[in-house]
Formats: sequence, C-alpha cells, structure tokens
Amino acid sequence: MRHQDSILEYRAGFYLKLALAACLAAVAVFATHAPATRQAYGASALGYTLGTIAALLVLWLMALGVRKRGYRSRLGTVQGWTSAHVYLGASLLVIATLHTGFEFGWNVHTLSYVLMLLVIASGALGVYAYLRYPVLMTKNMADETLEALVLKIADLDRKCRRLALDLPDEVNAIVARGTRSAAREARIGGSLRRQLAGDAVACPTRAAAAELVALGGRYKGEQAALHGQLVSAMARKSVLTDRVRRDLRYRALMHVWLYAHVPLAFALVAALIAHVVSVFYFR
Amino acid sequence: MAKREERRLTGNVFQIGRGAQCQIHLPDTRVALVHARLVLGEHGSVIEADRHRIVYNDREVSGAELRVGDHIEIGPYVLSVETAPPGVALAIAVRVSKRVSTSGTRALYRALLRGPRLSKRRLSYLVFFGVLVLCLAAPIADRLAGDGSTLTRALALGAMQAWNPGPLSRAHAVFGRDCQSCHVRPFVAVAAEDCLGCHRSIRAHGPKEAFRAVSFAAGADLTCMQCHHEHQGGVMASRSPQICAQCHGGARPVAAGAQPIKATDFASDHPGFRLALVDPARPGALRRVAQRDASGAPPQEQSNLKFNHTLHLDPRGVRGPREARTALNCASCHEPGEGGSRMRPVSMERHCARCHSLQFEPGSAARQVPHGSLEQVRTMLREFYARSVLADAPAAQNARGVERVRPGAVVSPEERREAARLADEKASRALRELLETRKVCSTCHYVGRTARGDWQIAPVAISASWMPGASFDHARHATEPCITCHEVRSSRRAEDIAMPDIARCRDCHGGAAATPPKVASDCASCHRFHGGSSAWRELAHAPE
Repeated sequence: MRHQDSILEYRAGFYLKLALAACLAAVAVFATHAPATRQAYGASALGYTLGTIAALLVLWLMALGVRKRGYRSRLGTVQGWTSAHVYLGASLLVIATLHTGFEFGWNVHTLSYVLMLLVIASGALGVYAYLRYPVLMTKNMADETLEALVLKIADLDRKCRRLALDLPDEVNAIVARGTRSAAREARIGGSLRRQLAGDAVACPTRAAAAELVALGGRYKGEQAALHGQLVSAMARKSVLTDRVRRDLRYRALMHVWLYAHVPLAFALVAALIAHVVSVFYFR
Repeated sequence: MAKREERRLTGNVFQIGRGAQCQIHLPDTRVALVHARLVLGEHGSVIEADRHRIVYNDREVSGAELRVGDHIEIGPYVLSVETAPPGVALAIAVRVSKRVSTSGTRALYRALLRGPRLSKRRLSYLVFFGVLVLCLAAPIADRLAGDGSTLTRALALGAMQAWNPGPLSRAHAVFGRDCQSCHVRPFVAVAAEDCLGCHRSIRAHGPKEAFRAVSFAAGADLTCMQCHHEHQGGVMASRSPQICAQCHGGARPVAAGAQPIKATDFASDHPGFRLALVDPARPGALRRVAQRDASGAPPQEQSNLKFNHTLHLDPRGVRGPREARTALNCASCHEPGEGGSRMRPVSMERHCARCHSLQFEPGSAARQVPHGSLEQVRTMLREFYARSVLADAPAAQNARGVERVRPGAVVSPEERREAARLADEKASRALRELLETRKVCSTCHYVGRTARGDWQIAPVAISASWMPGASFDHARHATEPCITCHEVRSSRRAEDIAMPDIARCRDCHGGAAATPPKVASDCASCHRFHGGSSAWRELAHAPE
C-alpha cells in the first residue's frame, strides 16, 4: 500500500476524476436542458435532480466525521474517504451552483448556498494545512519529539537556576523571569491565539538571554565563567522554546480551520433542512 | 512523607537567602542572596524582609511576629513555625511548596493539552440549532401566527421572507406576504386551477381535445408554470423561444391532427408564411395556403371582385365623374383601423362611391341605388319608378278634383295596375342597364344569371386577415412606405395577393439572438401563445 500518497493523489486521483466527470455531466445537462427557459433553478426537473444529488453529497460529506472516528470500520480507508471528501466536496461548487440557476436573494436558499461556499473555502484551507504543515513540523522537530524538547527545556531551566545561585541578585532576577516560563503554565502553548502566534510572542527566555548578554563584562573571575555558561544555557533554551512554539503553532494551524469547517457544515445542514422544507411547503 | 532533616542553629539573628553566607540557605533563583532576617527577641521572634517580597500567612508583608502555625513563603519555599521542643526558642520547618512546580514539565503538558474553551462540538450544536430556529421555526411560527396575536406577529415579523426565493412579479406584487393567495395547500404544488381562479378569461393555446393526445411535458397536463415562473421579479411571461421549441421544435407532433410545424428561430428555422383564404364555395371556412405552391406560383384569391391597382395608382391620376384627374395613393382607400395595428376594410361607400357612381336615371343624377343586395336594388328601383309614374299620372295633376270624388280613391284600380306595370318595367330596364348594358355593377362584380334566368352577383369573399396567427402592427411599421411590403403597382387583377413573404420580413428581422442592424425577434414578437384571434385557433387545425 502506498502510504506516502497524499490525499490528493490517492489512487492516482480517482476521486478527482470522478468529481470532474460529475461536474462535466452536470454542466452538459444544464447547457442542453436549462438555458434561457428560466427553468434552471430548483423548481425544474433538472433543478430537483441537481438539488437532490447535492443534498445527498452534503450528507455523505458529513459522514466523514463519523467514519474517521470509527477505527474499527472496514468501509474503505480514512485516507480514501478524505480524498473523496475533498474532491466530491469541491464538485459541489459546480453542482450546487447549477442547482441555484444563478438565482440569488436574501433568503434561506441563498444562505444555504453561501454557507456551502464557506464550508468549501474552509475545507480548502484544511487541504492546504494538511499538505503544508506536516512537512514543516518534521523539519522543525528534526528527529526529536516534543516531549524530549520539553524535558531538555526543563533541564536547562534547572541548570540556569543553579548557575545563577552564585551570581548577584540582578542576574537572578533575570533568570527568574527567563525560567518562570517553563515553571509556570501558559507561556508555551496556552490559548489558541498564543498557539497560533508561534515564536512571534514576546518570549521571556529570549528577553532574559538578551539581558544576560547585556550584563556581560561586568563580572570577573569565577563569576564571569558562570555568567558565560548561563548566557549559553539561556540562549539554547531560547532556541528550544522557539522550536516548541513553532511546533505548537503548526499543530494549531492543522486544526484551527476545523473550528470554521465543522460548525459551518452543521449550519449548512440546518439551512438545507430549512431550504428543503420551505420549497416543499410552498411548492 | 519526604525525609526530614533537622539542624540546630544558634544565635539571635539569622539571614535567610540564596547566598552562601545565609544561615537558612534557600538555593533558588527566586530567592535573593539575602532575602529576609529572622530575629529572636525576649518576647518573641520576628521575621523582617530585606527589601524583598515575603508572604506571611498568605499576605504580603515586610515583617511579622511569628507564632506557632504561621507559614512564610519565600520564592518556592514555605517556612512553617512549629511547636519548639524544650530548650529551643523557635522551630521552623522548611519545604518546597507544591504550588510552584520546579520541574515545569507537567505544567507545560497541561498547557499543551488545553484547547479553546468553546469546543467544535458545542459550537456546531449552537449554530445548527441557531440556524434551524431562525430559518425554519421562525418562518413556520410566522406562518402559523397568521393574523393572530400581535405579539407572535411582532416576534416573527418578516421571518417568512426568509423562505421567499425571490421577488414576486410586478403583477403579483400586490399579494405581498399572502403566500396562500397562490400556495393554496401546503406541500401541494400550485396548479393551473389556482391561477385560473383569477385568470378566468385567459384563452387556451388551442382546443383542449387537440392537446389531449399530446402531453406537453412528461405526461402532465399543460400547466401555467411551464412557461410562467414566479418569484423572479419583472414579468412572469417568458419570451424564450426554447419554451415554444419544446413542442414546435419538430421533435414531436404539435397537436393531434395538426400539421407538423418546426419553428425554432425566425431567421434560420421558420417555415414560409401561409395565407388564410376565404373559400367562396364554403363561406365562413378558412383555408391555409402557402405563399408559393410546389411549382413556385403564388396563390390566387377568389374574392369574386375585380380590381386593378395599376389603374388606380396611375401617377397621372384617375378621372372622376365630376372632377379632373385625381392622383390616388394607398391611404385613399386603406385606412388604419382602431389602434392603428390593422387596416379597416375598404368600403364602397367611403372609398369607391366618389368616382364609382351608382346612378341609374339620367334625369335624377342625385339618385343612386344602394350598394347592397340585388333585392334591395330592385325594391328601391320599383319604389322610385312607382312614385315617378304616379307623379306623372294625369289624375294626380288634378289633386283638388280627386279629393272631391272620394278620399282614398285617388286613381282607379285599372290606372293603378297600369302605373305599377309601367313602374316595374322601368325598374327592370334600369336594373338591366346597371347590370348589363351600362356595366355599372360589373365594373367590380361578376354578374351572371341563375339556371332560372335570375340575375346573380357572385358573392364577395375577402380575407379579413391574411395572417391571423401573426400579431402585426402597422403603426409600428409606419416609417416604411406601404410598397416596401405590399408591392401592388404592377397588379392588374384582384386575384393577386400582395402579402410580404418571410424573406421580406427577414430583411429587417433576425432571430431571437440577432444583433443590430437586424431587429432581434423571438416567437412572441409576432405570435401570442394564449390564442390571438379565434380565427387563428381554428386555422391551427385547418386543412391545407
């Protein structure tokens, strides 16, 4: 099995071809049956057909959320499902647009359509994230695990504090600020906003390292040696925290689009229910 | 419990701090070199902060008196005052606080695992039910409220609008929010009957029987909605040629028994015109005739009239009985009818009589026979000559004597019979002169005799409308001279038909997609779906 295939190249783009064929068929039927008769929109036989196909597609696309949690399911692979999800979801752009017959207004019908566009747009962000960030994450972690990095940071923290003990209070104050980050929560990771900010946050470790460097030359003898070691330890810790933050940022980016995609998809299903009920209520 | 180590210190003042010189040594970055001092006095022990932060029983202080049970926080350390053993002034336990972790690893992991407060699932439920309430429940509440309580109405006001797929057409905008005006029953499609409730006088496209065998779409009856689409604003009637092409595209018979006609585009796919001719043999019945028959010859109209356009349109004019030559033009005889779209029928009295006098007696030039049936003419002539004969009678000249003899008996029966005979004879002579000798009637009419020898004028059968299926408007073509379409200058016989053929129309009119200089013309430019004239509706199924 070719595990390395991305979801876009799954089975040599089988679902891409399927989606393209569906789009072409829809366009062909629309072009031969619908134009200018003003019957193109939902209320025609063609409209009902396209609408039914689109609605069933939406329900099936929603089912990915169930399938990906069903670890015991043997109904295809999640990779295959995701590939189909991406391409068939994108095909809705054509099918549902033809279903509208290019009739738009301030109503539940167009609301459903707009929600669908938003779901597809957020899904496109997801595809981008799935293609881009895993590569960057591997590059960033460079054969290390997040846990190992965190342990290293904790070790460096201890080392910094130990080195600072024999140095004056001003150095200690700086080290305390610089190592508090690891000792206290919410300096790495934390809120979604902080996670997305990555290494662009005001990092206490980085600030401490800079301050320690600025103090250089003030000490003599054994204190100067200790200070030198402290500066290097703090600098190494700064590099590591930045790597951790970048990793957390990538992890956050890998998932943040789902906060738009999933709720919007549910909003879409609700709007579709209202849309279908309303068009059949007032036929 | 962690292992406890005990140390005894002697002295009165003890330094607490990170520094090596401190008696109470707290090795941590967050502790100052000398953080605080512990002073033992005679009346008790005191802790004093050395410009640094200490927390005494959870309060930040600069110094405090120590009692058993107190605890002081310095950096990560907690110093607890314990009950001193005998001979000892003060006992203090030093431990690292659990509240401030030094390893950091666990805290870091806690941070990593913490997601945003609003989960995807909760957010999804929220928007799902939010949209359902706004887009489904509110409109239904609005609908159910109807003209109910003002509160319900105010709450749901306009929610129904959310279901409206588009603006109503101009004509139906008056219904506003009353959806049930057309949508009579929930979950049942609007049917033609719902439209016909108001549109009572609308004409069908053709006789119902004709379409019964030819279902319009997928076995369904012809419904209004096949051509008229509501909720798209503007006007509901579609002008799209594709709609007509559904049946007139040649794919299937137009109607049971009708001629198969294929017409999808005026410029490229439209049959030649057919003329509606009145058949003199079958009065009232129309016949459809192609403008060119198989041999290419134009059809002839059997109107039983004689007319020479060339003669009447002589540029030098025509000679009338009273005046010199008068030049005639089309408008001399062809006047626009009401509204200007069609021409009024030519009338003998209005258009011909000025020149074509029906006078019969040279002595009475002012008198003319009526332009009517032979019977009317004969009656008029008899009455005229009867009066004339009686006026000439000798008895009549002696009016006073007659009155004296007997009122009412002006002339004797013999004289009366003689006068009547004389009058009839004169009338017959005048009639014969009109019909035969002077050829007054036969100038325009075909005069003959029946088998019994009676005079007979061939019945006139003029087409009232040459193309009843087309809604032509002369007024809209007024910028063109008549002869552009009706070339009659060389026509010498009434049998000639001067109707333009499709090629002439195509000089200016293109198909639905035509661009200037051609006039874009779709089906509805000339044809009316809902039946135009009844003559056309009959014609639609008339034989060739």
